[in-house]
Amino acid sequence: MSRLALSRVDAPMTAARVGIGGPVGSGKTALVERLIPALQARGIDIAVITNDLVTAEDAERVRRSGLIDPERVSAVEAGACPHTVIREDPTLNIEAADELERRFPGVELILLESGGDNLASTFSRDLTDFWMFVIDVAGGDDIPRKRGPGVIRTDLLVINKVDLAPHVGVDLARMQREATDVRGGRPVLLTNCRRGEGIEAIVDLLEREVLFRT
Amino acid sequence: MLRLHGIMGRADDRAYAGRIHALEHRGGIELLFVPPEDAGRKRFRLTTDRGTDCAVSLDRDEELIDGALLHLDSDRAIIARFGAQQVWRLRARDPASALKLGWHAGNLHWRVRFEGDHLVVLLDAPLATYRARIQPLLDAGEVVERDHV
Repeated sequence: MSRLALSRVDAPMTAARVGIGGPVGSGKTALVERLIPALQARGIDIAVITNDLVTAEDAERVRRSGLIDPERVSAVEAGACPHTVIREDPTLNIEAADELERRFPGVELILLESGGDNLASTFSRDLTDFWMFVIDVAGGDDIPRKRGPGVIRTDLLVINKVDLAPHVGVDLARMQREATDVRGGRPVLLTNCRRGEGIEAIVDLLEREVLFRT
Repeated sequence: MLRLHGIMGRADDRAYAGRIHALEHRGGIELLFVPPEDAGRKRFRLTTDRGTDCAVSLDRDEELIDGALLHLDSDRAIIARFGAQQVWRLRARDPASALKLGWHAGNLHWRVRFEGDHLVVLLDAPLATYRARIQPLLDAGEVVERDHV
């Protein structure tokens, strides 16, 4: 075996692995598309894994976005409920992340986007070091009060599409307050991914919690 | 921020015993309490019982253990401590009740193990939130709580 091959095999896997989960249509892929340039602008070397039910739809969307080298985007097809491959048996995603680290040894952060799921969806700690759960105001301002495990246990709750709040009769301040209450004060951040609002605050948190830059 | 990477060994390893014993006498032992549900993380940021902000990373094939020695110098040692895993032991009254309990535990994705005729639920959230899910079975006496620790 060549020295290069040995070094590829033996290189430690140290990239931070960050999960993104949430209901269908809440804006997970849109968040990934905003995080990519924001992370790159801070000089962070990244790769992406997307999970879909039986296609590579989201991976293709990110690959075609022009935001990132398509080789740095991997697709995992769950073939079943999305939570099965991020929680019960995350082997496929762990292997996909390991493979990205082998191919791109300098990668510092891997984003793992789950397929759209329900409020009970959570990530295994074997897979991710940090994960965020994305909900949106149009899904209803009662979502935080329902105390789904995704909302409660995630490291960061993201409330997206805040620009729609007045159009769907949502009291955003109350929704944010209730979300913070049910989470015992742990982080809740607001975004409008269409306009890129609120993204820098998420990157700030990732820099502190898993990249240890601040 | 104190940047720590990897596990040096166990705090009770013979190789470190003398230095750690000496640090104990000088008040140089700091404990980093890790919630059991977070023990699988390979990167995390926590503060020790003496206020040191620690940024910890492990290789993917390293497993954090209770008592892991994460840092050792002439002034201090930093040792990981797991909070005890909270569990809830349940016993079903009869086979029909056991089927119902098993159905709920599976449907709710509870982490469980078996101890004889008891179902032991490993808690990742306050017990009350688990109890609420099977309250009718508890109220009807179909499932009996043995204890929780």
